[in-house]
Amino acid sequence: MNNTLLELKNISYKYENNLILNKVNLKINSGEKIALLGKSGSGKTTLISVLNGTIKPTQGEVKLFNKSFKELDRKQRRKITTIWQDLRLIEDLSAEQNVNCGLLAENNFNFAFKNLLNISSFEKAHKYMQLCRLHNSIYDKKIRKLSVGQKQRVAIARSLIQGSNILLADEPFNNLDPKLITTIKNLLLENVNKKNTKSPKTILVALHRLDLLNDFDKVIGIRDGKIFFNIKRTDLKKLHLDKIY
Amino acid sequence: MNKLKLNYTSLSFLPILVCIPLGYQLITNLHFGGFKLFQEFLISAFNPKIDNEIIITVINRLNETILIGFFSWLVSIIFGAIFGILSSNIFYKIFNIPNFFYIIIRFFLTIIRSIHEVVWGILLMQIYGINFSIGIIAICIPYVAVNSKVFAEQLETIDYKSFESINQINAPKFSFLLTLIWNPIINTFKNFGLYRLECSIRSTVILGLFGIGGIGTSIFLSFQTLNFRELWTYLWSLAILIIFSGLILKKINFNNTNKILSIFFIAVFFVTIFLSFSYFLYFVFNNNFGNFNSFISLFKSNLDLGLFDFLKLILETIILSLLSTGIAISLPPLVIGFFNNNTSKILIKIFAFLLRLIPTPVILLSLLTFNSPSLSLAALTLGLHNAGITSKLLFTNLDSQDKRNYIAMKSLGISKKTSWLLGLFSQQAKSYLAYCAYRSDIIIRETAIVGVIGSVGLGWQLQESLSSFAWQEVTIVLIAYSSIAIVVELINGKIKNSLT
Repeated sequence: MNNTLLELKNISYKYENNLILNKVNLKINSGEKIALLGKSGSGKTTLISVLNGTIKPTQGEVKLFNKSFKELDRKQRRKITTIWQDLRLIEDLSAEQNVNCGLLAENNFNFAFKNLLNISSFEKAHKYMQLCRLHNSIYDKKIRKLSVGQKQRVAIARSLIQGSNILLADEPFNNLDPKLITTIKNLLLENVNKKNTKSPKTILVALHRLDLLNDFDKVIGIRDGKIFFNIKRTDLKKLHLDKIY
Repeated sequence: MNKLKLNYTSLSFLPILVCIPLGYQLITNLHFGGFKLFQEFLISAFNPKIDNEIIITVINRLNETILIGFFSWLVSIIFGAIFGILSSNIFYKIFNIPNFFYIIIRFFLTIIRSIHEVVWGILLMQIYGINFSIGIIAICIPYVAVNSKVFAEQLETIDYKSFESINQINAPKFSFLLTLIWNPIINTFKNFGLYRLECSIRSTVILGLFGIGGIGTSIFLSFQTLNFRELWTYLWSLAILIIFSGLILKKINFNNTNKILSIFFIAVFFVTIFLSFSYFLYFVFNNNFGNFNSFISLFKSNLDLGLFDFLKLILETIILSLLSTGIAISLPPLVIGFFNNNTSKILIKIFAFLLRLIPTPVILLSLLTFNSPSLSLAALTLGLHNAGITSKLLFTNLDSQDKRNYIAMKSLGISKKTSWLLGLFSQQAKSYLAYCAYRSDIIIRETAIVGVIGSVGLGWQLQESLSSFAWQEVTIVLIAYSSIAIVVELINGKIKNSLT
């Protein structure tokens, strides 16, 4: 049975005459947990942006559930969620309002209105914020008043609350202390969590830290916009890493 | 010899050079015929008339002013926000609507705001006759367009990251739009919208001078009868109204919205929209067109305006705007910098408040007591009134600024004036100039008011043409006005973009 969720066929992306992605081919199957490795500027963020449809490639085809992005309706697009490296939170909204934004897709206009007026139910948002170890004293604080680490966890909570099948995360462990990294890693990689909250089954995480690779099934190495290896984590050798670093 | 370096600080002071030709003409036109009258006008400020009769008149007139001012403010803020959304690129981006509509709406709003509320008022009065509602409608028309510009500008500062954050969630489009624009709209309302109430009250007063009603009409009548003590009673009561309305709005905490307050605001929002529409329809269908018979009269009317005279009027209007803008930009930093001590600061603030408070036609009429009508006098009036407004902004920014540089410079033995200039003002000069660019848009429109009274520019011609029902001339003058205002707005937009 074909269980490919996301597929990149011969993708290239040029920006101001620089080739950022160079003929990339990639398949992401259901349930896979993939680590994306590469130096800064190797094309990891661009690859994630192409995968979630934010960037249109200069050449090649992106398919989600065997359909091109144009053919997908809003419901199907909702199956991908992204944790951005720059977090992309709305600075003027509170932490709980930002997390609740993750529920906008499955709710109507009334929900958006109540969320902005601060009169909606934040029960679900609080549940995910607790999982991300966010203390209740920061729930109603504006994003601009939070520390970088707190903002990082708000972004993770907002992403998880969407209940998507596929998670694309660009360096989600940045700005977190070692204890929190373990907590967040377990949260992202375990399918079902303690509080009956779901985590995405299929995950692609851009990483810098090699000590975090243990829980991933596959490792992809990227350098200068080209995929150098796409192998099982157990097959990863120093030789592979030398190619990309 | 050291060359003058052009930077934001020096650019803030250079426009004061307009005072050379302006001062020359003012001194030439000086006469002492009405100097005593002017003296009486000033002394009456400290001795306003207070008796039962005038207090009752003040209350009645203030009621009318509050009604016109408040409703025109409320309607123009709500519709300004709606049109602001419709004229911002974010709306078209979310709904994938072609940019063509965006350009059309923007152009339409630019034309509407290029004509001053007084001109709208005079025009509507000619068509519908004197009517209480004319005041509200005349203020609302340009105010909606002005407010929409400010709201749209704020919405266009929404960064790409916020846009993408919601876009990626794939939320329904209306939820997407609302979540993205909510805070910029609320912040613009708090920072700009509340201040517009003061503007709305001032516009009501100016329209009152032209017969709409309210305290403006009383101010004008008392000035005409040279009853200065009565005039100052009206002006001081107006001052109290402006100060109180500002304080009340400041007291309302828009940050801590609870459920009941939220429902109240939403109710006000929808009720205002509903009532405005119903009232607009009622107004349109229940008024006969008074003096204005049909559009055919536009083409039947005489056109006595020669091309040369017309071009002269346009040139006068442009020169009037340039001179007034020069004063409005340079006078506040010059005066504040020169008289840089606490007592002077308080006196300057009071003087600036009075310049904002006293309607420009009244300032002009009082200056006419010892100077002949001229372009320079009209420019001085408009410049002083706007300097009152720009100085308010400059004071607010300077008061909230970090003063460490200023203190450090003073501790090095540098003079107080130089420390103020380099340690305080130089950091504000850029944003101050950006605001002045926006202010000059308004000055162009305000030339209509002083023009009517000071016998200069297109404003005067407009009044003349309206009085003789020369509709063709009125149309041409209005087109000329709009064209100048649009060109200036485009130039100022470029200047503002390079400054921010």
